[in-house]
Amino acid sequence: MRQTPSDTQSIDADVPSHLYAPAGQVVSADASSELSRRQFLEAAGFTISLAAIGGCGRAPVQHALPPPKLPVGMIPGQLRYYASTCAGCPASCGLLVGTRDGRPLKMEGLPEHPLSRGGLCAVGQALPIGLYDSQRLVSPLRAGQPAEWVVIDQEIAQSLAQFKGQQKMVRLVSSTVTSPTLQAGIDSFLKQFADGEHVVFDAVSCAAILDAHAATHSVRVLPHYRFERAATVVSFEADFLGTWISPVEFTAAWSTRRNPQPGMPEMSYHVQFESRMSLTGSNADRRYAIHPQEQGPLVGRLTELVAARVGAPLSARLAPAIDIDQERVLANLVERLWQTRGQSLVISDSQDTGVQRCVNYINHLLGNYDHTLELARYSRQRQGNDRDVEQLVEDLTSDRVGALLVTDVDLLHALANCDGMADAIDRIPVTISCAPRVDEFASHAKYVCPDHHALESWYDAEPIASLVSLGQPTLAPLGNTRSVLESLAAWSGQPTDVGAAIRLHWKSVVFPRRLAQATASFAEFWDNALRDGFVEVEPEPVNIREFASTSIRPLIHPAATNAFSLVLYANVGMPDARHAHNPWLQELPDPVTKITWGNCVSISSGDAERLGIQDGDVVSVSAGRDGPRLELPAFIQVGQHEGSLAIALAYGCKGTDRFAKIGPQWFQAEPTVPELGLVGVNAASFLEFRNGTLRYQRSGVTLAKTGTHRELAATQQHNSLELPADVAPFGAERREIVQFTTLAAFAKDVHAGAPEQHHASEPQLWPEDHSKTGHAWGMVIDLNKCTGCSACVIACQSENNVPVVGYDEVRRQREMHWLRIDRYYTTAFQDISVLHQPMMCQHCDNAPCETVCPVLATVHSSEGLNEQIYNRCVGTRYCANNCPFKVRRFNWFEYPRNDSLKNLVLNPEVTVRSRGVMEKCSMCVQRIEAARIVARTQGQPIADGAIQTACQQSCPANAIVFGDMNDPTSGIHAARENPRIFRVLEELNVRPSVSYLRVVRNRGEEALRG
Amino acid sequence: MSDRILLAKFGHEDDLLASTIELRSKGYKIVDAFTPYAVHGLDRALGLKPSRLTWVCFVCGMIGALGMLYFEYWVGAISWPLDVGGKPWNSLPSNVPVAFETAVLLAGFGSVIALLGVSKLYFGKQPQPLFERVTDDRFVLVLDEADARFDPAQVEVILRPFNLLELEERVVAGGVRQ
Amino acid sequence: MVEVRQQRKPKPSPVRVREAWENLRPTLITGDKQPADVTRDICAPLDRRPTALWWWAFLVAFTALVVGATAVTYQIAVGIGTWGLNRTVGWAFDITNFVFWVGIGHAGTLISAVLFLFRQKWRTSVNRSAEAMTLFAVVCAGLFPVIHMGRPWLAFWMAPYPNTRGPLWVNFKSPLLWDVFAISTYLLISAVFWYVGLIPDLATIRDRSQSVWRRRLAGIFSLGWNGSAKTWHRYETVYLLLAGLATPLVFSVHTIVSMDFATAVIPGWHTTIFPPYFVAGAIFSGLAMVLTLMIIARKVMRLEDYITVRHVEAMCKLMLSMGCIVGLAYGTEFFIAAYSGNSYEQFLFINRALGPFRWAYWTMVSCNVLIPQLLWLRAVRRNIILVFLISIVVNIGMWFERFVIIVTSLHRDFLPSSWASYQPTIIEVATLLGSFGLFFSCFLLFCRFIPVIAMAEVKGVLRAPHHPQEQDALQGDAA
Repeated sequence: MRQTPSDTQSIDADVPSHLYAPAGQVVSADASSELSRRQFLEAAGFTISLAAIGGCGRAPVQHALPPPKLPVGMIPGQLRYYASTCAGCPASCGLLVGTRDGRPLKMEGLPEHPLSRGGLCAVGQALPIGLYDSQRLVSPLRAGQPAEWVVIDQEIAQSLAQFKGQQKMVRLVSSTVTSPTLQAGIDSFLKQFADGEHVVFDAVSCAAILDAHAATHSVRVLPHYRFERAATVVSFEADFLGTWISPVEFTAAWSTRRNPQPGMPEMSYHVQFESRMSLTGSNADRRYAIHPQEQGPLVGRLTELVAARVGAPLSARLAPAIDIDQERVLANLVERLWQTRGQSLVISDSQDTGVQRCVNYINHLLGNYDHTLELARYSRQRQGNDRDVEQLVEDLTSDRVGALLVTDVDLLHALANCDGMADAIDRIPVTISCAPRVDEFASHAKYVCPDHHALESWYDAEPIASLVSLGQPTLAPLGNTRSVLESLAAWSGQPTDVGAAIRLHWKSVVFPRRLAQATASFAEFWDNALRDGFVEVEPEPVNIREFASTSIRPLIHPAATNAFSLVLYANVGMPDARHAHNPWLQELPDPVTKITWGNCVSISSGDAERLGIQDGDVVSVSAGRDGPRLELPAFIQVGQHEGSLAIALAYGCKGTDRFAKIGPQWFQAEPTVPELGLVGVNAASFLEFRNGTLRYQRSGVTLAKTGTHRELAATQQHNSLELPADVAPFGAERREIVQFTTLAAFAKDVHAGAPEQHHASEPQLWPEDHSKTGHAWGMVIDLNKCTGCSACVIACQSENNVPVVGYDEVRRQREMHWLRIDRYYTTAFQDISVLHQPMMCQHCDNAPCETVCPVLATVHSSEGLNEQIYNRCVGTRYCANNCPFKVRRFNWFEYPRNDSLKNLVLNPEVTVRSRGVMEKCSMCVQRIEAARIVARTQGQPIADGAIQTACQQSCPANAIVFGDMNDPTSGIHAARENPRIFRVLEELNVRPSVSYLRVVRNRGEEALRG
Repeated sequence: MSDRILLAKFGHEDDLLASTIELRSKGYKIVDAFTPYAVHGLDRALGLKPSRLTWVCFVCGMIGALGMLYFEYWVGAISWPLDVGGKPWNSLPSNVPVAFETAVLLAGFGSVIALLGVSKLYFGKQPQPLFERVTDDRFVLVLDEADARFDPAQVEVILRPFNLLELEERVVAGGVRQ
Repeated sequence: MVEVRQQRKPKPSPVRVREAWENLRPTLITGDKQPADVTRDICAPLDRRPTALWWWAFLVAFTALVVGATAVTYQIAVGIGTWGLNRTVGWAFDITNFVFWVGIGHAGTLISAVLFLFRQKWRTSVNRSAEAMTLFAVVCAGLFPVIHMGRPWLAFWMAPYPNTRGPLWVNFKSPLLWDVFAISTYLLISAVFWYVGLIPDLATIRDRSQSVWRRRLAGIFSLGWNGSAKTWHRYETVYLLLAGLATPLVFSVHTIVSMDFATAVIPGWHTTIFPPYFVAGAIFSGLAMVLTLMIIARKVMRLEDYITVRHVEAMCKLMLSMGCIVGLAYGTEFFIAAYSGNSYEQFLFINRALGPFRWAYWTMVSCNVLIPQLLWLRAVRRNIILVFLISIVVNIGMWFERFVIIVTSLHRDFLPSSWASYQPTIIEVATLLGSFGLFFSCFLLFCRFIPVIAMAEVKGVLRAPHHPQEQDALQGDAA
């Protein structure tokens, strides 16, 4: 249930706001925190009401009291949802915070949110475990020692005061700030100083795009990409389904056009040019592996061709010639783009402004602006300005900076390429970090003023110029932390409360921008925003000039070398270093490589063969003799272009050695962190500034074997639908686990892609004793929408208390995820193509696992669920052996749960399994029962859609449908009518309750190879 | 029968057998024979009826099989019917193995217990009577001297051809327990 | 005496006839033993002090047992994770050892019961030790299903006992539960069978042993046996009944064990030929183990006269035939896979022979099928050393058979995404070692304290099979 304004009022009345107090004092930093659950709930219980209290002032109170009487509508032990905004990354997706007894437990997508549309990525799902992290700072540090805020504030205020007059620089470095209030706060803070500037530094920046628009449209903004309007998507290396700018939003939009219907076999056409295998590339209709250095020429050539096609040929060649195959590819592509002009979209992740200008030009020529790209309602999700950063580095190293404030980003970790930074920072008189943990910069900063966790604090965001959203606290801060906004206010001498500040800012700035039809009362406006989590307003006017064609100049093309080109990218599960301390994300298998716990060097099979490198061989990567150098295990990546390497950023973060003993400890167990002492290695040292942007590509990189070996903890060993050639039986070289076809074939026959013989109608050996007359729960997963983004994996983990087991256990193929995503490569098409398949318990009607359990620990419910009874299980593992889908997970050890604070993340609705029992997907039976209770109390049948499984709720692509298969009006009933439907291993006649919809790739060929 | 018995000791099973046949043909009453191992044909020679233990075995076996079959049916279909892998409540085929094993178990134990009972064998029992070397290599034939016209001398004459080792008269209170 | 016989000319002496018969058939027991000699020879080792050889053997076996016990303790204390298993390969060493030991047990029953029914008199010299072997093997086997559980302390939940959890029984549809009943029945019946056979010999010990306490113990357990013909008569009946019961039992037990796999859906397990295939394999491995033990025993206990080359040869013939059946089964599996057109099945068997575990597969084939073919040669069969070596090889091969069936079937099943490999940990190896330790410790103790040869039965076959008097008479006339 979501709270309503009426609640708000009454709660407002019930609970005097001054009762709200930080319960932080009781949190201690060590793992065995003495914070008892009871204490904690007392402290946190009534802060739910705070969630409803709009911006009342918060006077400091030293102790917390339970509410004199419960807020209206609050039932102890019952889950309550609050609309909020995800602070996992600047994309600022809509968030539903599920809290129980004052504990935020479950992050879900906000269905009404116009951008994320109910989706939420893995990072957002994993927020709570960051909140209950016993190693977060619980009080400010001064020279590394805990100190009182008052002391620190005084010192800082004094030392800052000296810069008001003199020409010493004051620099505030942050990653993209989408919060209008915080932005205002920063601006007013910096205004005091003679030379105060705000440097926006995105660890993975899109500065080139903004710069390019500054050149072509004379506004330095990031366009808002509208994939739902794009019939043709051409992406150069941009991983927009995985990590690029706003992946959840883009996935949601993109998937709306991936739904070919029998009547009209239409779907968007998505082409990906990339050197590494990205999640986006793995979902593209056509993926062309290119050398990183070819991107420029390709974009240039495409520009020329488009210009020619449009009839405004360019005077000069933009780039050197490309080879003939690529010419042919581009020729076809241009045709398609032209056919779909106005609803096509060309994007690139290049940090070369020239390339981005060309991209803009293509989109301009095709008339995509204001259709698939919006500048008027531009995106504020990436504002990074690498020129400023470069300047900052220079200022720092030349000691021109007097005070340096850093928030949201670990300057030293992210700029590991700049030498002498650490010393320079040590020389700065005033250095302040707002990091929640002592990261690399914080360890050098004089003062560490830890920010709240997003779930503890008010905040707001304006991801898109016309969309403002609110984030509300869902419990009292666990530590003696303080929001950045408050700190800045305190240091500029007018202390405020973040809630108040936001409400104030909204009243003065946001409210005036309200839409015409919006309410006239600010209180109502605010309450609505608070209830909905967001509000749409008029965009601030930007004056976009006519496209400046003059800005299109020939591209600078680096001389081709025979050395490797290195591509640095962000992992889907680890977008930036702030999440490095999140065990859920560390153990989330990368959607493409399926590797957990650390990064690796992706290398093409050809190069690996040439250099005699096997998976897991530690290689040393270096750029030049005195250039950066690192050692990482190699991973042979299918689809990686020869001559290119890829390494994920945001690893090797300070403090991740804490995970050394995260797994079960026994005498043959290997520690989760390698000898190096950190999870992964920081590859940022390979970054370089070139022409005003931070480059994530580095040419002239050499690779050498070190002779050592570190096995990669990958959750998938065999990666292809094709069986190993040496043991494949003749005529059955490929297994039809994932069925797929092409749009052309689908247009001819909607059943295309189905195996020859159907086994569905096999007669039963025995009489049908168990007809499901009541509900029959089932699930349908549309593999054509599913991108494999793995949000569901974390959603399931957080909903079902799935333990984290650590590197060694994953390496031993004992990961515990109930829901995994199988990723298969197949050579059925000419080029390699990738298929993702979420795989969880299929709840078979003829379940092989049930028959073999000697103690009836797994049986079938009358509603078609395959139930696992943990306390009856004796752990023979026979069921797991006999499961054709291998979805059962066994508790090999008693997994460590001794961190009493971290245990607060556990969902009380779901049993925590002990050692020696089997477990698996329960189709969120606790949610089914909850819905049943509600329905009973209301005396109505369970409505379709009243039950949403955790995975379904969070799916950004909306690919999962769950419901009652017996209900003819239900969504799943309709979904099962879809001709693309199939069930895995149908021939076994185990009758799964989970069905899949066939993959359709928008391609011309009508027959598949092999 | 009287307390007076006559023991004829032999060194070989064949002599024992032959003399048994001989004596019985002459109408002598043989109480029992004691041998170190099962002498084949001795039962026929002594005119013992086939044992009824086979029936005990059969009955126990049937009890085991049918009892278990019913129990399995009751558990699966009546006591707590559970949907296991879509199998019918009462799936007879899957009930057979356990029923069979139980049958064998009861049959085996039944007949052995019956044996001990009938032969009055129990733990710590003192062997009664026990003739020396009878568990080693001696074969002893026990005759009852019930009727008046019993003449040990004559018996000796009859038995001598069969390598009779020794003839001994003994008084056993209550005679040899059968 | 002689003149007596002359006196009674018309009455032919059975003795001479017997000699005539003797020439027709070689004796089972060499050295022209008399019953008294048997008693002496068999009981002698019991009264003698154990030999140095025995002590060394026992020391080794017991050490192994201790090692294994330590490993199991650690595993139960820490978790099954200390084994090399994973989400895909849920069974490996544990169930391999289980099936292996059950198999070993079966030959014991075969020799003591089946050969008894077939009136194979040569069995008498070996059946006692064979039955003991069965007993200990089944004990070893029984351990593994218990320790392989995630929560072994709850093993009693396998029993259908009335409980406080409402009518919560067990799943009679699960082959694992059939196992529970099969194995426990098998253990109990074998124990009873063994003990019943032991009663007369215990009586012998009671009546002749020097040591007082052994006499007393034997006295208690010999149940007051006095060799009465009437008791013998019933005894024979019951012994026959037990043999009759044990025979189908032994087949049912391994059939059920094979159903653990045959009733599963996993390719390579889901096979209808498993029951006969497993039974043959079981007897095969069991015979090999019997040979191993017999050959050791006859040397260590100086029983060459009782366990003669003839016995060894007979066992070899049996073993050879079983080996051929097993070989046939291996072939059939491949044929069925090819013939069925089930691509999962086909893949599995190709993968078995050529995949990552091919080394295990070919070890199995060479140990179980190729090498035993040597036994076609009489010379080999009569060469104790060679036979000993072959029996060892077969034991190894049969262990690998179970390993191959379990691991290669599991590690690459339906969904390629879940394929995984398997590698045993030290703990698992130590556990296997420990089971051997347990087995041999028990067996050595048995050799020490219980007559290794069924005296009462051997005495019965010292000479040629006996025939009723009247037939003797006829032949006597003929002669």
